Amino acid sequence: MKFIDKMIAPVDKALERFDPLWQAQNGKGGLRSRYYDKTGVAKWREWRGVKDTMVDYTAWLNNLLSMGLMVASAPLPVLKGMWEYRWMGSFLGTFLFIDRLFEGYRGPQLKIAHMNMHAIVKSLTERIAFVLANDARLGGGPETENIVPHDETITPLFLKGFKGLHPFPLQTLPEFIICDVDQHIEPYYIDVAESFGLPADVCSRCAAETGVAIDDAFPLVGKVMLSTNMPCNASEATSMFQRRRIGKPDFPVTLAMQHNNPEALPYSRQTILDAIHFVEEHYGVKWDWDEFFKYAKLINEQNTIELEKWDFFKTPYSALTGIAETLYRLYSWQSVNGQDPYFNKVDRKVIKLMRKAYEQRYDPFRGTCRHRAFLWGPSAVYYTDFPTWCANCWGINIVLNMDSTMGFNMIDTEDPEKALDDLTRFTEKACMRHHAVGGWENVNAVWQWAKEFNCDMVLMNDNIACKGMLGVHALMEEQARDLGFHFIFVEHDLEDSRTVSRQDMRNCVNKYMDVVLGEKPLDPTLVEFDDSDAY
Amino acid sequence: MKKKAWKLLVKLLGKTLLAALIFFAATFTLYITNGENKLIYYVVRPFLNRHYDSQTRDRRIV
Repeated sequence: MKFIDKMIAPVDKALERFDPLWQAQNGKGGLRSRYYDKTGVAKWREWRGVKDTMVDYTAWLNNLLSMGLMVASAPLPVLKGMWEYRWMGSFLGTFLFIDRLFEGYRGPQLKIAHMNMHAIVKSLTERIAFVLANDARLGGGPETENIVPHDETITPLFLKGFKGLHPFPLQTLPEFIICDVDQHIEPYYIDVAESFGLPADVCSRCAAETGVAIDDAFPLVGKVMLSTNMPCNASEATSMFQRRRIGKPDFPVTLAMQHNNPEALPYSRQTILDAIHFVEEHYGVKWDWDEFFKYAKLINEQNTIELEKWDFFKTPYSALTGIAETLYRLYSWQSVNGQDPYFNKVDRKVIKLMRKAYEQRYDPFRGTCRHRAFLWGPSAVYYTDFPTWCANCWGINIVLNMDSTMGFNMIDTEDPEKALDDLTRFTEKACMRHHAVGGWENVNAVWQWAKEFNCDMVLMNDNIACKGMLGVHALMEEQARDLGFHFIFVEHDLEDSRTVSRQDMRNCVNKYMDVVLGEKPLDPTLVEFDDSDAY
Repeated sequence: MKKKAWKLLVKLLGKTLLAALIFFAATFTLYITNGENKLIYYVVRPFLNRHYDSQTRDRRIV
Protein backbone atom coordinates (compact mmCIF):
# COMPACT_ATOMS: atom_id res chain seq x y z
CA MET A 1 0.00 0.00 0.00
CA LYS A 2 2.83 2.36 0.90
CA PHE A 3 4.39 1.66 -2.51
CA ILE A 4 1.14 2.64 -4.26
CA ASP A 5 0.90 5.77 -2.12
CA LYS A 6 4.42 6.74 -3.19
CA MET A 7 3.55 6.09 -6.82
CA ILE A 8 0.44 8.27 -6.81
CA ALA A 9 1.82 11.08 -4.64
CA PRO A 10 3.32 13.02 -7.60
CA VAL A 11 0.05 12.64 -9.54
CA ASP A 12 -1.94 13.93 -6.59
CA LYS A 13 0.44 16.86 -6.25
CA ALA A 14 0.18 17.70 -9.95
CA LEU A 15 -3.63 17.56 -9.91
CA GLU A 16 -4.32 19.10 -6.51
CA ARG A 17 -5.46 22.37 -8.06
CA PHE A 18 -8.56 20.51 -9.29
CA ASP A 19 -9.45 19.39 -5.75
CA PRO A 20 -12.22 21.74 -4.48
CA LEU A 21 -11.04 21.39 -0.87
CA TRP A 22 -7.57 22.58 -1.90
CA GLN A 23 -9.18 25.37 -3.95
CA ALA A 24 -11.18 26.57 -0.93
CA GLN A 25 -8.13 26.45 1.35
CA ASN A 26 -6.07 28.43 -1.16
CA GLY A 27 -8.68 31.00 -2.13
CA LYS A 28 -8.98 29.65 -5.67
CA GLY A 29 -12.58 28.48 -5.71
CA GLY A 30 -14.33 25.75 -3.80
CA LEU A 31 -16.94 23.03 -3.85
CA ARG A 32 -19.49 25.14 -5.72
CA SER A 33 -17.13 26.35 -8.48
CA ARG A 34 -17.69 23.40 -10.80
CA TYR A 35 -21.51 23.73 -11.04
CA TYR A 36 -23.70 25.14 -13.77
CA ASP A 37 -25.80 27.91 -12.25
CA LYS A 38 -29.09 26.91 -10.57
CA THR A 39 -29.11 23.33 -11.90
CA GLY A 40 -27.12 21.39 -9.35
CA VAL A 41 -25.40 19.72 -12.32
CA ALA A 42 -21.62 19.77 -12.08
CA LYS A 43 -19.43 20.32 -15.14
CA TRP A 44 -17.23 17.47 -13.94
CA ARG A 45 -17.12 15.23 -10.92
CA GLU A 46 -15.21 16.12 -7.82
CA TRP A 47 -11.47 15.40 -8.00
CA ARG A 48 -10.54 13.91 -4.64
CA GLY A 49 -7.01 12.69 -5.38
CA VAL A 50 -6.31 9.41 -7.20
CA LYS A 51 -7.24 7.01 -4.41
CA ASP A 52 -10.49 8.63 -3.28
CA THR A 53 -11.60 9.39 -6.83
CA MET A 54 -11.20 5.68 -7.57
CA VAL A 55 -13.23 4.82 -4.45
CA ASP A 56 -15.98 7.14 -5.66
CA TYR A 57 -15.79 5.80 -9.23
CA THR A 58 -16.03 2.19 -8.03
CA ALA A 59 -19.04 3.06 -5.87
CA TRP A 60 -20.64 4.76 -8.87
CA LEU A 61 -20.07 1.62 -10.98
CA ASN A 62 -21.51 -0.53 -8.23
CA ASN A 63 -24.66 1.59 -8.02
CA LEU A 64 -24.93 1.58 -11.81
CA LEU A 65 -24.78 -2.21 -11.70
CA SER A 66 -27.63 -2.33 -9.17
CA MET A 67 -29.75 -0.18 -11.45
CA GLY A 68 -28.87 -2.38 -14.42
CA LEU A 69 -29.87 -5.46 -12.43
CA MET A 70 -33.17 -3.81 -11.52
CA VAL A 71 -34.03 -3.28 -15.20
CA ALA A 72 -32.76 -6.73 -16.17
CA SER A 73 -34.82 -8.47 -13.47
CA ALA A 74 -38.12 -6.94 -14.61
CA PRO A 75 -37.57 -5.03 -17.87
CA LEU A 76 -41.18 -4.58 -18.94
CA PRO A 77 -42.64 -3.64 -15.53
CA VAL A 78 -39.79 -1.16 -14.94
CA LEU A 79 -40.41 0.47 -18.33
CA LYS A 80 -44.17 0.51 -17.73
CA GLY A 81 -43.60 1.98 -14.26
CA MET A 82 -41.33 4.68 -15.66
CA TRP A 83 -44.04 5.59 -18.16
CA GLU A 84 -46.89 5.48 -15.65
CA TYR A 85 -45.48 7.06 -12.49
CA ARG A 86 -43.99 10.55 -12.33
CA TRP A 87 -42.01 9.61 -9.20
CA MET A 88 -40.16 6.90 -11.14
CA GLY A 89 -38.60 9.63 -13.30
CA SER A 90 -37.29 11.27 -10.13
CA PHE A 91 -35.25 8.17 -9.27
CA LEU A 92 -33.05 9.04 -12.25
CA GLY A 93 -31.68 11.83 -10.06
CA THR A 94 -30.08 9.29 -7.71
CA PHE A 95 -26.53 9.80 -9.02
CA LEU A 96 -26.76 13.58 -8.62
CA PHE A 97 -28.14 13.02 -5.13
CA ILE A 98 -25.26 10.77 -4.09
CA ASP A 99 -22.67 13.17 -5.51
CA ARG A 100 -24.17 16.03 -3.50
CA LEU A 101 -24.34 14.01 -0.28
CA PHE A 102 -20.68 13.09 -0.18
CA GLU A 103 -19.03 16.28 -1.42
CA GLY A 104 -15.75 16.86 0.39
CA TYR A 105 -15.66 13.32 1.81
CA ARG A 106 -12.25 11.68 1.84
CA GLY A 107 -10.53 8.48 3.03
CA PRO A 108 -12.38 6.03 5.32
CA GLN A 109 -15.18 8.58 5.68
CA LEU A 110 -15.89 8.31 1.93
CA LYS A 111 -15.48 4.54 1.84
CA ILE A 112 -17.94 3.98 4.69
CA ALA A 113 -20.41 6.52 3.29
CA HIS A 114 -20.50 4.64 -0.01
CA MET A 115 -20.90 1.26 1.69
CA ASN A 116 -23.95 2.59 3.49
CA MET A 117 -25.33 4.32 0.42
CA HIS A 118 -24.90 1.28 -1.79
CA ALA A 119 -26.93 -0.78 0.67
CA ILE A 120 -29.77 1.73 0.23
CA VAL A 121 -29.45 1.75 -3.58
CA LYS A 122 -29.32 -2.05 -3.74
CA SER A 123 -32.35 -2.42 -1.49
CA LEU A 124 -34.38 0.25 -3.27
CA THR A 125 -33.67 -1.05 -6.77
CA GLU A 126 -34.69 -4.55 -5.68
CA ARG A 127 -37.86 -3.18 -4.13
CA ILE A 128 -38.75 -1.12 -7.19
CA ALA A 129 -38.36 -4.12 -9.49
CA PHE A 130 -40.37 -6.31 -7.09
CA VAL A 131 -43.28 -3.94 -6.60
CA LEU A 132 -43.58 -2.94 -10.25
CA ALA A 133 -43.50 -6.60 -11.32
CA ASN A 134 -46.46 -7.18 -8.99
CA ASP A 135 -48.34 -3.91 -9.40
CA ALA A 136 -51.95 -4.64 -10.36
CA ARG A 137 -52.09 -1.28 -12.12
CA LEU A 138 -49.41 -2.56 -14.52
CA GLY A 139 -50.87 -6.03 -14.94
CA GLY A 140 -49.90 -7.69 -11.65
CA GLY A 141 -47.62 -10.63 -10.93
CA PRO A 142 -47.30 -13.86 -8.96
CA GLU A 143 -46.81 -12.09 -5.60
CA THR A 144 -49.45 -9.35 -5.93
CA GLU A 145 -51.78 -11.00 -3.43
CA ASN A 146 -48.96 -11.90 -1.01
CA ILE A 147 -47.84 -8.34 -0.40
CA VAL A 148 -48.97 -6.56 2.78
CA PRO A 149 -48.93 -2.81 2.09
CA HIS A 150 -48.47 -0.73 5.22
CA ASP A 151 -47.88 2.89 6.15
CA GLU A 152 -44.24 3.91 5.92
CA THR A 153 -44.07 4.80 9.61
CA ILE A 154 -45.20 1.35 10.77
CA THR A 155 -42.10 -0.72 11.43
CA PRO A 156 -42.51 -3.84 9.29
CA LEU A 157 -40.64 -6.21 11.64
CA PHE A 158 -43.76 -7.72 13.23
CA LEU A 159 -45.10 -8.58 9.77
CA LYS A 160 -42.09 -10.85 9.20
CA GLY A 161 -43.85 -13.39 11.41
CA PHE A 162 -45.88 -14.30 8.32
CA LYS A 163 -43.90 -16.72 6.18
CA GLY A 164 -44.49 -16.13 2.48
CA LEU A 165 -45.94 -12.64 2.87
CA HIS A 166 -44.03 -9.49 1.91
CA PRO A 167 -44.51 -6.33 3.98
CA PHE A 168 -44.28 -3.28 1.76
CA PRO A 169 -44.15 0.35 2.98
CA LEU A 170 -46.53 1.87 0.46
CA GLN A 171 -45.45 5.52 0.59
CA THR A 172 -41.71 4.89 0.57
CA LEU A 173 -41.20 4.88 -3.19
CA PRO A 174 -43.56 7.68 -4.34
CA GLU A 175 -42.99 9.98 -1.37
CA PHE A 176 -40.88 9.06 1.66
CA ILE A 177 -37.51 8.43 -0.02
CA ILE A 178 -37.95 10.14 -3.36
CA CYS A 179 -38.63 13.53 -1.74
CA ASP A 180 -35.02 13.36 -0.51
CA VAL A 181 -33.69 12.75 -4.03
CA ASP A 182 -35.78 15.33 -5.91
CA GLN A 183 -37.15 18.51 -4.30
CA HIS A 184 -39.47 19.13 -7.26
CA ILE A 185 -41.48 15.91 -7.15
CA GLU A 186 -43.67 16.36 -4.06
CA PRO A 187 -44.89 19.92 -4.88
CA TYR A 188 -46.67 18.33 -7.86
CA TYR A 189 -48.55 15.90 -5.61
CA ILE A 190 -49.16 18.64 -3.01
CA ASP A 191 -50.84 20.72 -5.74
CA VAL A 192 -53.03 17.75 -6.69
CA ALA A 193 -54.21 17.46 -3.06
CA GLU A 194 -54.72 21.20 -2.70
CA SER A 195 -56.76 21.33 -5.92
CA PHE A 196 -59.35 19.33 -3.96
CA GLY A 197 -59.50 22.00 -1.28
CA LEU A 198 -56.90 20.67 1.15
CA PRO A 199 -55.57 23.75 3.00
CA ALA A 200 -52.08 24.84 2.04
CA ASP A 201 -50.86 25.10 5.63
CA VAL A 202 -51.02 21.41 6.57
CA CYS A 203 -47.96 19.16 6.88
CA SER A 204 -46.58 18.86 3.35
CA ARG A 205 -45.69 15.19 3.87
CA CYS A 206 -49.32 14.34 4.50
CA ALA A 207 -50.47 16.62 1.67
CA ALA A 208 -48.04 14.92 -0.72
CA GLU A 209 -49.22 11.42 0.29
CA THR A 210 -52.81 12.48 -0.22
CA GLY A 211 -51.91 13.85 -3.67
CA VAL A 212 -50.18 10.59 -4.59
CA ALA A 213 -53.37 8.68 -3.67
CA ILE A 214 -55.67 11.02 -5.65
CA ASP A 215 -53.29 10.92 -8.64
CA ASP A 216 -53.42 7.10 -8.64
CA ALA A 217 -49.67 7.00 -8.20
CA PHE A 218 -49.47 4.32 -5.50
CA PRO A 219 -48.66 0.87 -6.86
CA LEU A 220 -51.69 -1.39 -6.31
CA VAL A 221 -50.58 -4.40 -4.31
CA GLY A 222 -51.93 -6.71 -1.60
CA LYS A 223 -55.36 -7.46 -0.21
CA VAL A 224 -55.51 -4.93 2.62
CA MET A 225 -53.80 -1.82 3.93
CA LEU A 226 -52.32 -1.23 7.38
CA SER A 227 -52.59 2.47 8.14
CA THR A 228 -51.52 4.24 11.31
CA ASN A 229 -51.70 7.30 13.54
CA MET A 230 -47.90 7.52 13.52
CA PRO A 231 -46.04 9.78 13.70
CA CYS A 232 -48.83 12.21 14.57
CA ASN A 233 -52.50 13.08 14.04
CA ALA A 234 -51.86 14.56 10.56
CA SER A 235 -50.99 11.03 9.52
CA GLU A 236 -54.46 9.88 10.56
CA ALA A 237 -56.00 12.39 8.16
CA THR A 238 -53.91 11.29 5.20
CA SER A 239 -54.67 7.65 6.03
CA MET A 240 -58.36 8.43 5.64
CA PHE A 241 -57.88 9.94 2.19
CA GLN A 242 -55.71 7.04 1.09
CA ARG A 243 -58.23 4.51 2.38
CA ARG A 244 -61.04 6.13 0.42
CA ARG A 245 -59.09 6.29 -2.83
CA ILE A 246 -57.36 2.92 -2.69
CA GLY A 247 -60.50 1.21 -1.44
CA LYS A 248 -59.00 -1.85 0.25
CA PRO A 249 -59.94 -3.16 3.71
CA ASP A 250 -57.92 -1.12 6.15
CA PHE A 251 -56.65 -1.72 9.68
CA PRO A 252 -55.49 1.41 11.54
CA VAL A 253 -52.52 0.46 13.71
CA THR A 254 -53.17 3.23 16.24
CA LEU A 255 -50.42 3.15 18.84
CA ALA A 256 -50.56 5.15 22.07
CA MET A 257 -49.51 8.76 21.66
CA GLN A 258 -48.16 8.88 25.24
CA HIS A 259 -45.75 6.09 24.44
CA ASN A 260 -43.37 6.69 27.35
CA ASN A 261 -46.15 5.93 29.79
CA PRO A 262 -45.94 2.25 30.92
CA GLU A 263 -49.72 2.22 31.37
CA ALA A 264 -50.13 2.76 27.62
CA LEU A 265 -48.13 -0.36 26.74
CA PRO A 266 -50.99 -2.89 26.99
CA TYR A 267 -53.08 -0.75 24.64
CA SER A 268 -50.37 -0.56 21.96
CA ARG A 269 -49.53 -4.22 22.45
CA GLN A 270 -53.15 -5.22 21.86
CA THR A 271 -53.25 -3.06 18.71
CA ILE A 272 -50.29 -4.97 17.28
CA LEU A 273 -51.97 -8.29 18.15
CA ASP A 274 -55.19 -7.11 16.49
CA ALA A 275 -53.24 -6.11 13.38
CA ILE A 276 -51.69 -9.59 13.28
CA HIS A 277 -55.14 -11.19 13.52
CA PHE A 278 -56.43 -8.88 10.78
CA VAL A 279 -53.66 -10.02 8.41
CA GLU A 280 -54.20 -13.68 9.36
CA GLU A 281 -57.88 -13.35 8.58
CA HIS A 282 -57.44 -11.70 5.17
CA TYR A 283 -54.42 -13.63 3.89
CA GLY A 284 -55.11 -17.03 5.48
CA VAL A 285 -51.54 -17.29 6.79
CA LYS A 286 -50.73 -18.02 10.45
CA TRP A 287 -48.29 -15.82 12.30
CA ASP A 288 -45.25 -17.80 13.43
CA TRP A 289 -43.01 -16.91 16.42
CA ASP A 290 -39.95 -18.77 15.11
CA GLU A 291 -40.17 -16.92 11.83
CA PHE A 292 -40.46 -13.63 13.70
CA PHE A 293 -37.50 -14.40 16.00
CA LYS A 294 -35.33 -15.03 12.94
CA TYR A 295 -35.73 -11.40 11.85
CA ALA A 296 -35.77 -9.99 15.40
CA LYS A 297 -32.24 -11.40 15.76
CA LEU A 298 -31.17 -9.46 12.67
CA ILE A 299 -32.45 -6.13 14.00
CA ASN A 300 -30.97 -6.90 17.43
CA GLU A 301 -27.58 -7.35 15.81
CA GLN A 302 -28.01 -4.08 13.90
CA ASN A 303 -28.98 -2.25 17.07
CA THR A 304 -26.03 -3.73 18.99
CA ILE A 305 -23.68 -2.44 16.31
CA GLU A 306 -25.51 0.90 16.28
CA LEU A 307 -24.91 1.34 20.01
CA GLU A 308 -21.21 0.68 19.48
CA LYS A 309 -21.21 3.27 16.68
CA TRP A 310 -22.63 5.79 19.15
CA ASP A 311 -19.52 5.38 21.32
CA PHE A 312 -17.40 6.44 18.36
CA PHE A 313 -19.75 9.33 17.54
CA LYS A 314 -19.01 10.75 20.98
CA THR A 315 -15.35 11.19 19.96
CA PRO A 316 -13.71 13.32 17.24
CA TYR A 317 -12.56 10.11 15.51
CA SER A 318 -15.71 8.65 13.99
CA ALA A 319 -15.23 7.74 10.33
CA LEU A 320 -19.01 7.54 9.90
CA THR A 321 -20.27 11.09 9.70
CA GLY A 322 -23.17 13.38 8.83
CA ILE A 323 -25.60 12.35 6.16
CA ALA A 324 -23.93 8.96 5.63
CA GLU A 325 -25.02 8.15 9.16
CA THR A 326 -28.44 9.82 9.30
CA LEU A 327 -29.82 8.66 5.96
CA TYR A 328 -28.56 5.10 6.39
CA ARG A 329 -30.00 4.75 9.87
CA LEU A 330 -33.30 6.23 8.74
CA TYR A 331 -33.63 3.78 5.85
CA SER A 332 -32.11 0.72 7.47
CA TRP A 333 -34.17 1.05 10.64
CA GLN A 334 -37.51 2.39 9.46
CA SER A 335 -37.80 0.76 6.08
CA VAL A 336 -35.63 -2.36 6.17
CA ASN A 337 -36.11 -3.04 9.86
CA GLY A 338 -34.38 -6.40 10.09
CA GLN A 339 -35.73 -7.77 6.84
CA ASP A 340 -32.53 -7.80 4.81
CA PRO A 341 -29.35 -9.57 6.02
CA TYR A 342 -27.30 -7.51 3.54
CA PHE A 343 -27.63 -4.56 5.94
CA ASN A 344 -26.18 -6.68 8.76
CA LYS A 345 -23.26 -7.54 6.50
CA VAL A 346 -22.66 -3.85 5.77
CA ASP A 347 -22.91 -2.96 9.46
CA ARG A 348 -20.32 -5.59 10.38
CA LYS A 349 -17.90 -4.24 7.77
CA VAL A 350 -18.52 -0.61 8.74
CA ILE A 351 -17.97 -1.16 12.45
CA LYS A 352 -14.65 -2.88 11.71
CA LEU A 353 -13.52 0.15 9.68
CA MET A 354 -14.74 2.49 12.41
CA ARG A 355 -12.76 0.59 15.07
CA LYS A 356 -9.63 0.76 12.94
CA ALA A 357 -10.10 4.46 12.19
CA TYR A 358 -10.55 5.17 15.90
CA GLU A 359 -7.38 3.28 16.80
CA GLN A 360 -5.51 5.40 14.29
CA ARG A 361 -7.11 8.59 15.69
CA TYR A 362 -8.45 9.38 12.22
CA ASP A 363 -10.01 12.86 11.93
CA PRO A 364 -12.53 12.84 9.07
CA PHE A 365 -12.66 16.64 8.99
CA ARG A 366 -8.90 17.14 8.76
CA GLY A 367 -8.90 19.71 11.56
CA THR A 368 -11.75 21.82 10.16
CA CYS A 369 -14.44 20.81 12.69
CA ARG A 370 -15.42 23.85 14.80
CA HIS A 371 -18.73 22.70 16.26
CA ARG A 372 -20.39 19.40 17.06
CA ALA A 373 -24.13 19.53 16.53
CA PHE A 374 -27.14 17.36 17.31
CA LEU A 375 -29.65 17.66 14.48
CA TRP A 376 -33.39 17.55 14.95
CA GLY A 377 -34.35 17.28 11.31
CA PRO A 378 -36.61 15.38 8.88
CA SER A 379 -36.66 15.09 5.03
CA ALA A 380 -35.77 18.70 4.32
CA VAL A 381 -32.24 17.97 5.54
CA TYR A 382 -31.76 15.37 2.82
CA TYR A 383 -32.75 17.18 -0.37
CA THR A 384 -30.66 20.07 0.89
CA ASP A 385 -27.74 17.69 1.71
CA PHE A 386 -27.73 19.79 4.85
CA PRO A 387 -25.22 17.97 7.11
CA THR A 388 -22.70 17.87 4.24
CA TRP A 389 -23.16 21.56 3.54
CA CYS A 390 -22.87 22.44 7.26
CA ALA A 391 -19.55 20.60 7.50
CA ASN A 392 -18.08 21.97 4.26
CA CYS A 393 -19.24 25.56 4.67
CA TRP A 394 -19.01 26.22 8.42
CA GLY A 395 -17.18 23.29 9.98
CA ILE A 396 -20.29 22.04 11.80
CA ASN A 397 -20.14 18.29 12.32
CA ILE A 398 -23.65 16.84 12.53
CA VAL A 399 -22.96 14.07 14.99
CA LEU A 400 -26.39 12.50 15.14
CA ASN A 401 -29.91 13.16 13.87
CA MET A 402 -33.09 12.66 15.90
CA ASP A 403 -34.23 9.82 13.66
CA SER A 404 -31.02 7.91 14.37
CA THR A 405 -32.29 7.34 17.89
CA MET A 406 -35.38 5.38 16.80
CA GLY A 407 -36.18 2.12 18.63
CA PHE A 408 -32.83 0.79 19.84
CA ASN A 409 -34.15 -1.55 22.51
CA MET A 410 -33.40 -5.26 22.09
CA ILE A 411 -36.21 -7.71 21.40
CA ASP A 412 -36.37 -10.96 23.34
CA THR A 413 -36.00 -13.87 20.92
CA GLU A 414 -37.12 -16.71 23.17
CA ASP A 415 -40.10 -15.74 25.30
CA PRO A 416 -43.14 -14.61 23.22
CA GLU A 417 -44.62 -12.60 26.11
CA LYS A 418 -41.46 -10.61 26.69
CA ALA A 419 -40.89 -10.32 22.95
CA LEU A 420 -44.31 -8.76 22.45
CA ASP A 421 -43.61 -6.09 25.08
CA ASP A 422 -40.21 -5.36 23.53
CA LEU A 423 -41.69 -5.27 20.04
CA THR A 424 -44.35 -2.79 21.16
CA ARG A 425 -41.79 -0.41 22.71
CA PHE A 426 -39.65 -0.78 19.59
CA THR A 427 -42.56 -0.10 17.21
CA GLU A 428 -43.68 2.97 19.15
CA LYS A 429 -40.27 4.66 18.80
CA ALA A 430 -40.63 5.10 15.06
CA CYS A 431 -39.50 7.70 12.58
CA MET A 432 -40.45 11.35 13.37
CA ARG A 433 -42.18 10.08 16.50
CA HIS A 434 -39.53 9.36 19.08
CA HIS A 435 -38.61 13.03 19.49
CA ALA A 436 -41.73 14.81 18.28
CA VAL A 437 -44.74 13.02 19.75
CA GLY A 438 -45.69 11.70 23.16
CA GLY A 439 -45.20 14.61 25.46
CA TRP A 440 -42.84 17.42 26.28
CA GLU A 441 -40.14 15.14 27.68
CA ASN A 442 -39.58 13.55 24.25
CA VAL A 443 -39.02 16.93 22.59
CA ASN A 444 -36.97 18.23 25.46
CA ALA A 445 -34.74 15.14 25.40
CA VAL A 446 -32.80 16.80 22.60
CA TRP A 447 -30.56 18.56 25.16
CA GLN A 448 -29.69 15.34 26.92
CA TRP A 449 -28.81 13.69 23.62
CA ALA A 450 -26.69 16.69 22.62
CA LYS A 451 -24.86 16.59 25.95
CA GLU A 452 -24.22 12.84 25.78
CA PHE A 453 -22.71 13.18 22.33
CA ASN A 454 -20.48 16.08 23.38
CA CYS A 455 -22.26 18.61 21.18
CA ASP A 456 -22.03 22.36 21.71
CA MET A 457 -24.74 23.09 19.16
CA VAL A 458 -28.31 22.00 18.37
CA LEU A 459 -29.83 22.51 14.93
CA MET A 460 -33.58 22.24 15.09
CA ASN A 461 -35.63 22.06 11.94
CA ASP A 462 -38.65 24.26 12.20
CA ASN A 463 -41.36 22.79 9.99
CA ILE A 464 -43.54 25.85 9.44
CA ALA A 465 -46.62 23.67 8.83
CA CYS A 466 -46.19 21.44 11.89
CA LYS A 467 -48.75 22.76 14.34
CA GLY A 468 -47.46 20.58 17.17
CA MET A 469 -43.86 21.69 17.02
CA LEU A 470 -44.67 25.35 16.37
CA GLY A 471 -46.16 25.36 19.85
CA VAL A 472 -42.81 24.66 21.50
CA HIS A 473 -40.75 27.17 19.51
CA ALA A 474 -40.23 29.75 22.24
CA LEU A 475 -39.78 27.10 24.92
CA MET A 476 -36.90 25.53 23.02
CA GLU A 477 -35.17 28.87 22.56
CA GLU A 478 -35.49 29.54 26.27
CA GLN A 479 -34.07 26.11 27.10
CA ALA A 480 -31.10 26.64 24.77
CA ARG A 481 -30.27 29.92 26.49
CA ASP A 482 -30.55 28.38 29.95
CA LEU A 483 -28.43 25.36 29.06
CA GLY A 484 -25.80 27.27 27.09
CA PHE A 485 -26.15 25.57 23.69
CA HIS A 486 -25.64 27.30 20.37
CA PHE A 487 -29.10 26.87 18.93
CA ILE A 488 -30.34 27.44 15.39
CA PHE A 489 -33.90 27.08 14.19
CA VAL A 490 -33.79 26.10 10.52
CA GLU A 491 -37.09 27.01 8.90
CA HIS A 492 -38.43 24.73 6.17
CA ASP A 493 -41.70 23.45 4.72
CA LEU A 494 -40.65 19.79 4.77
CA GLU A 495 -41.40 18.55 1.24
CA ASP A 496 -42.43 21.83 -0.33
CA SER A 497 -39.25 23.70 -1.25
CA ARG A 498 -41.29 26.50 -2.87
CA THR A 499 -42.30 27.95 0.50
CA VAL A 500 -38.84 27.93 2.06
CA SER A 501 -36.07 27.45 -0.48
CA ARG A 502 -32.85 25.59 0.14
CA GLN A 503 -30.97 28.90 0.24
CA ASP A 504 -33.46 30.24 2.81
CA MET A 505 -32.66 27.21 4.97
CA ARG A 506 -28.93 27.71 4.56
CA ASN A 507 -29.33 31.39 5.40
CA CYS A 508 -30.63 30.48 8.86
CA VAL A 509 -27.22 28.94 9.58
CA ASN A 510 -25.28 31.60 7.64
CA LYS A 511 -26.79 34.40 9.74
CA TYR A 512 -26.11 32.68 13.05
CA MET A 513 -22.52 31.80 12.16
CA ASP A 514 -21.79 35.23 10.79
CA VAL A 515 -23.78 37.58 13.05
CA VAL A 516 -23.89 35.71 16.36
CA LEU A 517 -20.60 33.79 16.30
CA GLY A 518 -18.65 36.06 13.96
CA GLU A 519 -17.07 33.09 12.16
CA LYS A 520 -15.72 32.98 8.62
CA PRO A 521 -16.84 30.24 6.18
CA LEU A 522 -14.41 27.44 5.34
CA ASP A 523 -15.54 27.56 1.72
CA PRO A 524 -16.96 30.96 0.62
CA THR A 525 -18.44 29.47 -2.59
CA LEU A 526 -20.96 27.63 -0.41
CA VAL A 527 -22.36 30.59 1.50
CA GLU A 528 -24.80 31.81 -1.11
CA PHE A 529 -25.65 30.06 -4.37
CA ASP A 530 -28.77 29.42 -6.41
CA ASP A 531 -29.72 25.75 -6.68
CA SER A 532 -33.43 26.32 -7.13
CA ASP A 533 -33.58 24.21 -10.31
CA ALA A 534 -31.54 21.35 -8.86
CA TYR A 535 -33.26 18.06 -8.08
CA MET B 1 1.72 -28.05 -28.05
CA LYS B 2 2.72 -26.31 -24.84
CA LYS B 3 3.95 -23.30 -26.79
CA LYS B 4 0.62 -23.08 -28.60
CA ALA B 5 -1.35 -23.19 -25.38
CA TRP B 6 0.94 -20.58 -23.87
CA LYS B 7 0.45 -18.31 -26.90
CA LEU B 8 -3.31 -18.75 -26.66
CA LEU B 9 -3.23 -17.91 -22.99
CA VAL B 10 -1.16 -14.76 -23.60
CA LYS B 11 -3.50 -13.76 -26.42
CA LEU B 12 -6.55 -14.31 -24.22
CA LEU B 13 -5.00 -12.38 -21.36
CA GLY B 14 -4.07 -9.56 -23.73
CA LYS B 15 -7.61 -9.36 -25.07
CA THR B 16 -9.09 -9.41 -21.57
CA LEU B 17 -6.73 -6.65 -20.50
CA LEU B 18 -7.57 -4.62 -23.59
CA ALA B 19 -11.30 -5.07 -22.98
CA ALA B 20 -10.86 -4.04 -19.33
CA LEU B 21 -8.86 -1.01 -20.40
CA ILE B 22 -11.50 0.05 -22.95
CA PHE B 23 -14.23 -0.53 -20.36
CA PHE B 24 -12.33 1.54 -17.79
CA ALA B 25 -11.59 4.35 -20.27
CA ALA B 26 -15.21 4.56 -21.41
CA THR B 27 -16.84 4.37 -17.98
CA PHE B 28 -14.28 6.62 -16.29
CA THR B 29 -14.74 9.26 -18.99
CA LEU B 30 -18.50 9.09 -18.49
CA TYR B 31 -17.99 9.29 -14.73
CA ILE B 32 -15.51 12.18 -14.57
CA THR B 33 -17.35 14.31 -17.15
CA ASN B 34 -20.58 13.74 -15.22
CA GLY B 35 -21.96 12.56 -18.56
CA GLU B 36 -24.89 10.47 -17.37
CA ASN B 37 -26.18 13.24 -15.10
CA LYS B 38 -26.02 15.82 -17.90
CA LEU B 39 -27.90 13.44 -20.19
CA ILE B 40 -30.55 12.76 -17.55
CA TYR B 41 -30.95 16.41 -16.53
CA TYR B 42 -30.97 18.03 -19.96
CA VAL B 43 -32.51 15.30 -22.16
CA VAL B 44 -34.20 12.38 -20.38
CA ARG B 45 -36.08 14.20 -17.59
CA PRO B 46 -37.45 17.01 -19.81
CA PHE B 47 -38.72 14.32 -22.20
CA LEU B 48 -40.30 12.32 -19.38
CA ASN B 49 -41.78 15.44 -17.78
CA ARG B 50 -43.47 16.36 -21.07
CA HIS B 51 -44.97 12.89 -21.12
CA TYR B 52 -46.12 13.06 -17.46
CA ASP B 53 -47.66 16.50 -18.05
CA SER B 54 -49.65 15.17 -21.00
CA GLN B 55 -51.13 12.24 -19.01
CA THR B 56 -54.82 12.27 -18.22
CA ARG B 57 -55.27 11.13 -14.62
CA ASP B 58 -58.56 9.94 -13.16
CA ARG B 59 -58.49 12.14 -10.09
CA ARG B 60 -61.15 11.45 -7.48
CA ILE B 61 -61.13 11.16 -3.70
CA VAL B 62 -63.42 8.12 -3.69
